[in-house]
Amino acid sequence: MPRNPLCTPTDHRVTRRRFLGSAASAVGLSSLANPLVAEELKKQRRQVLFVWLDGGMSQLESWDPKPNTPFGGPFRPIQTAVPGIQISELLPQCAKQMKHLAIVRSVSTQDDSHSAGVERIQRGDPKNRGVTYPLLGSAVAKLVGPGDSGLPPYIWVKPMSGGFIYKDAGFLGPKYGALALGDGKPPENLLRPKAITAEEDNERNDLRKLLDKNYAAQRRTELTEANSYAYEMAAQLQKKIELFDLSKLPQKDQDRYGTHDLGRHMLLARRLLEEGVTFVKVTSYGWDTHGDHFNGAASLHPKFDKPFAAMIEDLADRGMLDNVLVIACAEFGRTPRINGHIGRDHWPQAWSVAMAGRGIKKGGVVAGKTNDKGTDVPNDPVDIGGLFHTWFRALGIDPTDAQYGNAGQPLPIAHEDMKAVKEVLA
Amino acid sequence: MQPKKDPNPNAPKELGKPLAPTTQVTRVRFSPDGKTLAAACFDGKIRRWDTSAKDPTELPLISGHNGWVTGLAFAGNALFSTDSWGRLIASDVTAKEPKLWTVEAAHDGWARTVAIAPVDSPLATCGKDGFVRLWNRETGKKFNEFETKTDVLSVCFSADGKSVFAGDLFGIVREFEVSSGKVTRTFAVKELHKLDRIQDVGGVKNLLLAGDGKTLFVAGAEPKTGGFVQCVPLIVAFDLATGKPSSQYKGANDNEGYVTDMAWHANGFVAFTTSGQPGQGKFHLWKPDAATAFFSGGKLPNCHSIAIHPDGDKVAVSATNANSSGNGRVKGAGGDYPENTSPIQMWSVPKV
Repeated sequence: MPRNPLCTPTDHRVTRRRFLGSAASAVGLSSLANPLVAEELKKQRRQVLFVWLDGGMSQLESWDPKPNTPFGGPFRPIQTAVPGIQISELLPQCAKQMKHLAIVRSVSTQDDSHSAGVERIQRGDPKNRGVTYPLLGSAVAKLVGPGDSGLPPYIWVKPMSGGFIYKDAGFLGPKYGALALGDGKPPENLLRPKAITAEEDNERNDLRKLLDKNYAAQRRTELTEANSYAYEMAAQLQKKIELFDLSKLPQKDQDRYGTHDLGRHMLLARRLLEEGVTFVKVTSYGWDTHGDHFNGAASLHPKFDKPFAAMIEDLADRGMLDNVLVIACAEFGRTPRINGHIGRDHWPQAWSVAMAGRGIKKGGVVAGKTNDKGTDVPNDPVDIGGLFHTWFRALGIDPTDAQYGNAGQPLPIAHEDMKAVKEVLA
Repeated sequence: MQPKKDPNPNAPKELGKPLAPTTQVTRVRFSPDGKTLAAACFDGKIRRWDTSAKDPTELPLISGHNGWVTGLAFAGNALFSTDSWGRLIASDVTAKEPKLWTVEAAHDGWARTVAIAPVDSPLATCGKDGFVRLWNRETGKKFNEFETKTDVLSVCFSADGKSVFAGDLFGIVREFEVSSGKVTRTFAVKELHKLDRIQDVGGVKNLLLAGDGKTLFVAGAEPKTGGFVQCVPLIVAFDLATGKPSSQYKGANDNEGYVTDMAWHANGFVAFTTSGQPGQGKFHLWKPDAATAFFSGGKLPNCHSIAIHPDGDKVAVSATNANSSGNGRVKGAGGDYPENTSPIQMWSVPKV
């Protein structure tokens, strides 16, 4: 939809309706109370869990081991639940879930720096048209919509601080930004202070809305829209505050996911997906192991393995893998050569990405391969643009047909010279 | 013309050119008779040199390991070695067919190292699987095991062979009674561990007993970060009579890395190596009653192991080739992409 910088406040009502969910609007919010309708809406969900291992997980100690080769490192390969497919011994729980997983071992991307690589990968590295493309979360929020959850369509669970990260949305505009939950906690000051009655709180919000409306009517900016939108999101989260209390979950779940940051955040992500949030990103920092890499991997990889495998198992048990596309990704892999600090450096030339769920072939599949030493992809390398094609197709979106509109400028949603990895698509 | 005067005549000097294994090395050790130097390598091989002449000559490789060879310990002509896939092998370094016996799965995965008891015949190994295991040196038969439920990085015996010390990822050293398997006491150096985000960093990388058996040296580093392992090397000496710390060596800054290996010199000092970051690794000579090392140097970056020749007059230090700091991406002019290697340099040891 082309953006009009001179829109009227009426558009805000449209925005709020969009926020409440097109599906919910179509059937009427009261219908959500009907279990049959609610169940039907759940079946129609299209969701994504995007696990981001910031800094770059080593493909050699995870999805593409090269045992007893010059760069293979110290770890053993293990057999997975799918005959003929081996992964690193550091991912034993994922090995048990291999029948749900698809691994692309022929990923070859363009950027070996964190600063550029993180955004370049998450924006799909499209052709340069002088605009800033949305990150995958914002793109999916726009293309799929908010669904029936009444919650923000793009939620980012991350360590440290949170907030409304509107820059993720690029040219789509701030309302497609991420609501970041710092350390998995709800935004600060979300709950009404005890000193204020519900009536007083409503009056305050009415006044705020009036001021927003007057301000926007005279001089609308993307940021004022984002500001209003953030309030709307906070109001919705207030109604779901129990989502954040993981202590009420069975101890067994907490043990399976782990009590470290990534485990807790993945468990929260599962709850958000259960509620119907369209796109949940979970970020784990600290994967940039330039020194003492193998002891680092021995500590880090199991802390990814357990919650990721538990998530796959739980989504499968709940029948949600038909709706949720799960992706484990980073900005690049790590160098085959082991440096003098017994570390691995940045290596975009040949690495792996794992996925599962909606639109992905079942039964366990490996697509593409690296050479014997793991240094290169000899045939059909897959750039991130190809993975964006794959993920959009898995979500039922044809990237050769769908386009963004940017102030009248049609823009492809994925790099038009690239194509999906068909071997992993259902 | 007068020869140039050596400003520091008592400092260690390089002896000849470095040995040049074609892969990286995790451990170097001399045989008790000083005639053989063995190097545990990343390619699952053990390289050997005859060091009885002035210029060492390379001997045939010892094969049979997977992953990395991680630990080496000599007893006479017998060499015991562990690997990162859990295998323990005994070899006779003087035999044409060196293999004596093999334990296929001494540990489930990464066997961290192997140590020899000073009396009787036990061997001890430790592993990422959380076990310390004791083996008959002659037969390779396991006769006891102790579980810590944590990654055990280092192990050594007490002087009387009745106890085994095991250091773990969290900076804890447990003393096990060999006969009963009971933990009789613990030594905690919690500075050796840091939880950086979700990564457990550091641990007791090395344990060493002083020659008189009265002092236990517990070594690693104070980690500042995970990914780069910026850390300050740290060795804490424990008086085994009291169980209390008696002295310590602490590096000056977090570019010096962790203590990668230690050896006891009969003249009453510790020789040790530090990993460095970037390329600041050195080898050091330290008297335990001093706050600083009396020698810190070595021209090769990123030192990983040190062995003292039985005569006490020289050490072998393994490091990594020049320009290996963060060189994972670098390709040669012709697009070649070789492994890094571990030059092994002999140094004279000053008379102290």
